[in-house]
Amino acid sequence: MTEASAAPGRGVAESGLRRDVTVWGSYMWGYADVGADIYAALGLVIASAQGGAVAAFAFAGLVYIMIGLAYTELAATYPVAGGGQYFALRGLGDFWGFVAGSALLLDYTIDIALFAVASSGYINFFFPAASKITVSFGPFHEVAIVWCLEAVVLVILLILLNVKGMRESSLLNEVLGAIDIVSESTIIIIGFIFAWRPELLSFQWHQQLAHWNWRQFAYGASLAIISFVGLESISQAAQETRRPATIVPRTSISLILTVFFFATAFSSLSLGILPWQAFVGREGDPVAMLAHSIPYIGMVAGPFAAVLGATILLISANSGVMSASRLTFSMSRFHFISEWFDVVHPKYRTPARTIMIFSGIGILQIILAFLAGRDRALEILGNMYAFGASTGYLLVFIALIKLRFTDPFSPRPYKVPLNIQIHRKGMTYEFPVLAVIGTLGVSMILLMVVLTHEIGRIAGPSWIIACFIYYAIYRRKKKLPVFGALPHDWEGQQQQVLEDAEEFDLLERYRAALATRDRARIDAEQ
Amino acid sequence: MSPAVTMMLMAYVQPHTSTLGVIVAACFASAMITVMYWMFHVPHPVSADVARVRRSLDVTRLILVPTTGAPYSQRGVELACRLAEEQNASIVLVFVIEVPRTLPLGAPLENAEEEARRALEVGRQVVALHGLPVRSIIQRARTAGDGIIAAAADHRADLIVTGLASRGDHGHPGWGHTADTLLHRASCEVIFDRVPPDTAS
Repeated sequence: MTEASAAPGRGVAESGLRRDVTVWGSYMWGYADVGADIYAALGLVIASAQGGAVAAFAFAGLVYIMIGLAYTELAATYPVAGGGQYFALRGLGDFWGFVAGSALLLDYTIDIALFAVASSGYINFFFPAASKITVSFGPFHEVAIVWCLEAVVLVILLILLNVKGMRESSLLNEVLGAIDIVSESTIIIIGFIFAWRPELLSFQWHQQLAHWNWRQFAYGASLAIISFVGLESISQAAQETRRPATIVPRTSISLILTVFFFATAFSSLSLGILPWQAFVGREGDPVAMLAHSIPYIGMVAGPFAAVLGATILLISANSGVMSASRLTFSMSRFHFISEWFDVVHPKYRTPARTIMIFSGIGILQIILAFLAGRDRALEILGNMYAFGASTGYLLVFIALIKLRFTDPFSPRPYKVPLNIQIHRKGMTYEFPVLAVIGTLGVSMILLMVVLTHEIGRIAGPSWIIACFIYYAIYRRKKKLPVFGALPHDWEGQQQQVLEDAEEFDLLERYRAALATRDRARIDAEQ
Repeated sequence: MSPAVTMMLMAYVQPHTSTLGVIVAACFASAMITVMYWMFHVPHPVSADVARVRRSLDVTRLILVPTTGAPYSQRGVELACRLAEEQNASIVLVFVIEVPRTLPLGAPLENAEEEARRALEVGRQVVALHGLPVRSIIQRARTAGDGIIAAAADHRADLIVTGLASRGDHGHPGWGHTADTLLHRASCEVIFDRVPPDTAS
């Protein structure tokens, strides 16, 4: 027996992560990502889908809702660190768990880099000269050195915050997120009451229908879909959330609805106040421009929107630090990467090494992106973003379908709706129709990403291949199977997780279900 | 930005209130408040002891219900159904024909068998109202207690639920000896439902 297989139960029960994330904190971990995406995506989507932007957001919202519901079920059923990587591992085995983990890790490191760069860009609204200072050296031209350094400093600050402990960084999310939600809601409500012209929205929609362009619409919809990563963050924080099986379904579903409301409201408001042409060339600060156009609050809208954008983008980068570190922590526990990452800080009880290493990769991505030139940094980072998300979510959907059959005993506080009951060998299974539709939807998005994102289709697979090479070397060195799976005591772990989470009612339900299954087996043998 | 677009932009910054805009704003605000209210109203936690007690019945997958056809006995069927509903447990109805020791166990007892069929049919109808899986059996034994114990063992029952007549309730065999037998010899959980004398009929 190998060293690893001798201790298959390691991974979740002995993690030692503190449970101090509250309802609001759990919600905010997700909102941190999704809220920031609205700031970035609104202008891009309107510029691409034009008068059809509301429809593009609605289409993206449907796929987003399906992914969100899948994550809600899985995170509530398996409230452990790891998110999509853990779900793929449970459902599909070690290798696919690793693939999902490496794809999502790509997203988190980019999440750190992208939103730190964007946040410092909003800060530069007050210091416009800073982003214009460039240097050229060797083959690199117009490197925005000050902007780059600002972004790097932000990431370093976030590393320190996260190493110190969850409560501290969760508090940052909670306070800034609350300010952002109130502010966004204020813009929407005042905008609809004092500036919105339904006839303008209707006019632009009809103009779009008259000159419909599917390619533009599809590109706009694929940009709107970037906001998927928020729910992954909630599942990442599930192991540190109090009573996760109870709280996570509420925070996830609330987040799904909030994001859907904001996305459709902002796009409807934008096209009911301004012509879509106004957003072309203003993809960097669409919300600020929109707020500026609203009567009574427009006077202070520019600086206020800049502060708002900087804060929400900063907490999104913070969420990326948290999620990347916890994902790698989980991957090391399951022998996908070295156990060296598997050490909790003796004082703060946080995975300090993983926080520093993978946030460091985020810093490296920032530097590489800026080396491509001032105007290309955000574009390059954004280009790689969709590939990791699409790959990871595809595997999560497949895992959800399989787990309905391989693990029907784990209590599911929430289930994805639209199920077909299948009776087989005395057992009742629920086949999730919505997950199949979601699988097809995400497959289409992944195909679109590969066909249209020039950098993403090269850099994304390259990242996964590089991770696989490391994984293969590490597993061979440890004499572990590369494509096979280690033995896991899932049932023991599940009981330990539920007990640790103080979800005693679910724990007893799980034990009762296992006892019933065991008795049925004995009866069948007799 | 082109001059034409700038002109359009300038044209749309003037205050303008539409009824539909006010309605949409009100709907948005209401929806946000509702979502937040729902999110923060988390159910109270359940302690380990409470959960253990609450879920201890979940392992009950098969409930044996002896019936005599009397009202107090059929009330036991209803009680068993309600206990079985949450975990969708199976119900096994048993009518024990007590065969005198002067007769062989297989002796024909047509009247008793007819009574058993009627009692079991009423019981099945009660269970059917709850949509639970049900079986009914006629068990022959020297005493009711022996018959119930044997049926429970044969079907690997988790629980026996039985209605008891009050002492002095005439017209049906008393359950005193049967209750004693079940209490002392049953290898599974047993619940007696004794109906007060004034409601026994």
